[in-house]
Amino acid sequence: MKALEVYKLLPKTNCKECGFPTCLAFAMKLAAGGAGPERCPYLDEETKALLGGATRPPVRAATVGVGARSFTVGEEIVMFRHEKTFYHRPGIMVCADDTSPLEEVRRNAEEVRDLVVHRVGQDLTLDGIALRCESGDPDRFAAASMVVGECGDLPRLLITADPGAHAAALKVCGQFLPLIHAATAENHEEMAGLAKRYGCPLVVRAETPEELADLAARCTAAGVRAILLDPAPRTVGDFVARASHLREHAVKRASPDLGYPLYLDTTTLGTDAALAAGILRYAGVIAVPPLPRPSLLAALTLRQNIYTDPQKPIQVTPGIYPVNNPGRDAPVLLSVNFSLTYFTLLGYLEAGKIPCYLFVVDTAGLSVLTAVAGGKLDEDLVKKSIESTGLAGTVDHRTLIIPGYAAPLSGRIEDATGWNVRVGPRDAAEIAEFLEKGE
Amino acid sequence: MTERITEVAVGATRTEGGTRTRSYRVGGASALPGMGDAGARPLIALEICDDPALWPVVVLEEVGDLAGDLSGWAKAAEERWGADLVRLVLTSTRRRGFDDPASSGKAVGEVLAATGLPLIVEGSIDPALDTGVFRRCGEAGEGERLLLGTAEAERYRSVAAAALAYGHAVLAQTPIDINLAKQLNILLRETGVPHDRIVIDPYTGALGYGFEYSYSVMERVRTAALAGDADLAMPVISAAQDSLTVREVREAPEGERVETAVQWEFYAAFSAAVAGAGIVCVRHPGTVGMLREAIADLWGGEGWR
Amino acid sequence: MPVVTFLPGYRKARVPQGATVLEAAQKAGLVMNVVCGGQGKCGKCIVRIENGETNFDREKFGVLFAAAELDAGVCLACQTRVFSDARIDVPAQTLVQEQKILVDAQPLDIPVHPSVRKYALALSPPTLDDPSSDLARLLDGVEHAGGPAATKVYAPLEMLRKIPVVLRHGRWRCTATVALVPGGYRLINVEEGGTAARLYGAAVDLGTTTVVAYLWDLAGGRVLSTASNYNRQISCGEDILSRVNYAKKNGTAHLQELAAVSVNTALTAAADAAGIDLEDIYEVMVAGNTVMTHLLLGIDPAYMIAEPYVPVVRRTLSTTAQRLGLSVAPTAGVFTFPAVSNFIGGDIIADILTSGMADQDEVSLLIDIGTNFEAVLGGRDWMLACAGAAGPALEGGEVLFGMRANPGAIERVRVDEATLEPAFETINRVPPVGICGSGLIDLLAGLIRACVIDRTGQINTGIDHPRIRMGRHFPEYVVAREDESGAGKDIVITGHDIRNLIMSKAAVLAACITLMDAAGISHGDLATVFFSGAFGNYIDKENAVTIGLIPEVPLDRVRNLGNGAVTGANQALVSRERRKALDRIARTITYIELNADPGFMDRYTQSCFLPHTDLSLFPTVQRVLEECRLRRGAQWQG
Repeated sequence: MKALEVYKLLPKTNCKECGFPTCLAFAMKLAAGGAGPERCPYLDEETKALLGGATRPPVRAATVGVGARSFTVGEEIVMFRHEKTFYHRPGIMVCADDTSPLEEVRRNAEEVRDLVVHRVGQDLTLDGIALRCESGDPDRFAAASMVVGECGDLPRLLITADPGAHAAALKVCGQFLPLIHAATAENHEEMAGLAKRYGCPLVVRAETPEELADLAARCTAAGVRAILLDPAPRTVGDFVARASHLREHAVKRASPDLGYPLYLDTTTLGTDAALAAGILRYAGVIAVPPLPRPSLLAALTLRQNIYTDPQKPIQVTPGIYPVNNPGRDAPVLLSVNFSLTYFTLLGYLEAGKIPCYLFVVDTAGLSVLTAVAGGKLDEDLVKKSIESTGLAGTVDHRTLIIPGYAAPLSGRIEDATGWNVRVGPRDAAEIAEFLEKGE
Repeated sequence: MTERITEVAVGATRTEGGTRTRSYRVGGASALPGMGDAGARPLIALEICDDPALWPVVVLEEVGDLAGDLSGWAKAAEERWGADLVRLVLTSTRRRGFDDPASSGKAVGEVLAATGLPLIVEGSIDPALDTGVFRRCGEAGEGERLLLGTAEAERYRSVAAAALAYGHAVLAQTPIDINLAKQLNILLRETGVPHDRIVIDPYTGALGYGFEYSYSVMERVRTAALAGDADLAMPVISAAQDSLTVREVREAPEGERVETAVQWEFYAAFSAAVAGAGIVCVRHPGTVGMLREAIADLWGGEGWR
Repeated sequence: MPVVTFLPGYRKARVPQGATVLEAAQKAGLVMNVVCGGQGKCGKCIVRIENGETNFDREKFGVLFAAAELDAGVCLACQTRVFSDARIDVPAQTLVQEQKILVDAQPLDIPVHPSVRKYALALSPPTLDDPSSDLARLLDGVEHAGGPAATKVYAPLEMLRKIPVVLRHGRWRCTATVALVPGGYRLINVEEGGTAARLYGAAVDLGTTTVVAYLWDLAGGRVLSTASNYNRQISCGEDILSRVNYAKKNGTAHLQELAAVSVNTALTAAADAAGIDLEDIYEVMVAGNTVMTHLLLGIDPAYMIAEPYVPVVRRTLSTTAQRLGLSVAPTAGVFTFPAVSNFIGGDIIADILTSGMADQDEVSLLIDIGTNFEAVLGGRDWMLACAGAAGPALEGGEVLFGMRANPGAIERVRVDEATLEPAFETINRVPPVGICGSGLIDLLAGLIRACVIDRTGQINTGIDHPRIRMGRHFPEYVVAREDESGAGKDIVITGHDIRNLIMSKAAVLAACITLMDAAGISHGDLATVFFSGAFGNYIDKENAVTIGLIPEVPLDRVRNLGNGAVTGANQALVSRERRKALDRIARTITYIELNADPGFMDRYTQSCFLPHTDLSLFPTVQRVLEECRLRRGAQWQG
């Protein structure tokens, strides 16, 4: 609903009791999904329901595991991240077989648990272990799931079509709310019973949207609280097409029984392409075989990229960044902590092989242009940053090169800091030439 | 989504007035992959260059002596690695004091002679050189329907003039912004370059280095076109050119470097294909086969429509 | 104390030892061009010391001048201190030149029903049988004369002191002045005899640069005279930000005084013209932006310019002339317009009042453009407002030959599409020395129609024409050749100038579109687009739409409000009903912070194009430009 349509349903008294200065301001917030209709005390139930129904996420949530490493997926509202953002990154769960020696299962689980990739201020990690019952032996399956459980509170995914094996495993780890895979046309009654009993999230698997909706409806009716859909793809193309179909139906609120997060097992699909496709197109939980490090690194980076809020870009930590081993006389380039600005500039500086310092100040992730226009980047910030980073102790000179778009601030920065200011180019691509000429 | 992406002809066979052994019509999709008729699968271009000094080390190690042998490199792209297109980057023009546009034309001729694949040519990036370089490149490829690049908002007239004079299409590059992409297309149109002679290069940041912006710009460009914006309805080309010089690749352990390089290119290029790119470009030969297989798989899907 | 004499004109001022020449000049009533607020930065307050003991740091400011100039005594007024009597020569360009001040208000079509009234009374003297108090007697008289009920009128102490004497001295014939103020009625004067005809009021637009005053005969309901002059605060900095910074450093007292002096100067001129006594002005209505209002009231505006940008007062305020130092009747009420935010101030509320948009069911857009711009969208039920920095380009700043609307400024330009030759008009018809905002907009529109520039503003240097050439740094188009110019050289517009202009206009258009998107309406839904302020009054509507300064609407829906601030002040002065509407308007407005709007940058980039990246928003412009292009086409293709 558009803001003015919402506004028409409000009392238009500008009474401020909702906490917003005007009814229109509240309507705009409601339309953007940033507030609930219950904040207005003067709406009747029907209007509240109407407004609430239009603002609740069309993809329901599901939480896997308990404790610090549990994760939630779903609650998505758009087809494309540029329309708003993707909220919950997919959980990547690494497969293990219960036929492997238990020691190997344990070692794999520990590796998954301990893998951390540190990138631009975030720790990227894997999300859990997908234990596949290959043995056909419920006791073996239960024992293997115990071993995984001994490696800390990693969420678990239990994969088998046999409800008996699930029952045995859930007996030892049901309280940790593993995700269980999968309820099908054949076994859904027993699977739903288990999921209900332990409160676990449940994957339902079928080849068509009608069957998926039917299974989801039955399992919900049977008391299952969280559901994921497995559209049973045979190729990467299948998954992308089916996942897109499901998301589209969910977002349009066309069929409520398809409004669940999706499940993808990449094992038989050609791993890297399937993993990338799952990250890009709507998977909530992705089961993957153990992957070589380069694949993991790329996949985790892609996931970080795609699940960055386009409206709140990744920020670089403010501070002094030496580039190309600068000496104490190397130039100092002021920049902002908008990651794209930083990386672009860094790229050109590294390519130009020019030793210098990147002096990154905290503009809350705004680009230079926006930060200057919005008053976020000003002489006070520069002064404080020079003091807090000890820039004066890092270099022997007192000259600061500022971005071209910050030129209007040059005089004020000189005044406030006592440093000489040179205005650099607007475009990062010209920085190397600028620095070479300047020497 | 009811509109269709404009088809751009790349490469000309003998019957089409050129000497290529195959030619393509890029575009034609009426939906993003997985969301309807995504048209022909995206083409894979392998990038080569005429001056390897500015080329990623990890590629030079892979191609060995071919790096100094433009003909051999181009031939291998076609025969050994199975690329659909060769993208010749005239890195020599980026050297300070470059003043030999004739050599650019010669390089284009050499590659055209060595391979039957259609050719993308990436020329100078200096307004002072553009006119000469693009004229020579355009001339050398006359009739071959090259994809000639790169036009930018501040320097598009010489590329456009060369493309118009010698029958090529233009690569229109803008820095990761749908609006700037559209603006450049309008500028080119008003200079006389028809829509079916433009390919949009929205600039692709490397994975982890701005790729999130590029990915969404590609999606936005595609969805805007499919929703009816004719000034964005040209095919998209994606080249995450910095993939092989990012820290993750440079600092990868010796035994993992090649694999990391390939994955870094692969994830970005495959994602670009999912976002609707019509041509994806890579530099490491190892990426080509992996990408070809994955794209075939992506195009081999069965939806529910 | 040294006496400083300024030449030409022999204006004199006595100042303490060590005062700056600038301070002396201010005291002598000279308004100097001080862009930086007297910090020695802008280099504009150039003077030459003829004699006298002064000191000026030649080392520090030497770069600004040639050695010969320094030897001749040239220096900066703000950085030169005076230690003895001195004679100082002031070049004309150092003084703020007479600029076009927009005085014209819209004619009023509302009934005159002022808040202040006079009642001429003939009271019966008290007797032992009728011993009611003097005050009761007076107020009963007012009530019987058709005034408010006696119980509703408050009489302050200074009136009580005055009443017994005036009543008896005037033999019980007197005139009472009663004003409607927030909270009731107030007795503000008692005079002997019948003075009911002498009831005047003033409406004032207190702008950052200029002050405009309208003097009203409130009894007769007509305008007597108008006057305008510069805001004396200019000597403390040219723009709002430098005024606030001045206040930060030096306190608000000086700025408050200068604001009062500026208003007084205008009122005195108006009163002189009308031949009335200032003391008979009983009400002053002031519309000013939020900072000006704060400064007139002597309230520190410092907290407004940093996040979260909170002003101190946001509603209609009333006080007395005495307390602000206004030289009208001391008890006269002074009313200031309410504000919505730091940027949406009383001047904008006055614009809205003038436009009448708050009384309409249809949606209108109101734009006030200067270095900063404000935009308001809405109608009776709701209004959205935003503000931003357009940059100085539209006012001639950051443009090589840009200038304000001073004599010699090119204010109208056409570019012949066939010959690419310009035709221009200047202010006062003197040879051109620069180009002002309206001229720049004409030029931009003319150049795009003639296909000299592309839609990003790049000059096509491929065109072989004597007026199109590569300048020192940028391509340029010659608007006036040296022989046509009064500047002694070619007057050009460069590619860089054009880029700055486009960025400025883009900020305005993007803000308008942001408001329209927030409300979910399109340009077709706009009943009227109102331009307010000096800038809007002089620009060519069609050209403004052609370059995409405002959304495309049929030109007959674009209206100039003239000086909307003073018109609004007039309305609120003479009509109780209109005054009452002010607070309601201020409450109806929802302010949108453009910086916090995630879509703003996108809309800005879209707007950095002539007229806009989405050409379907400008269907008529697009058709016209397409025709122009086709006409020129053949020529360029060759």
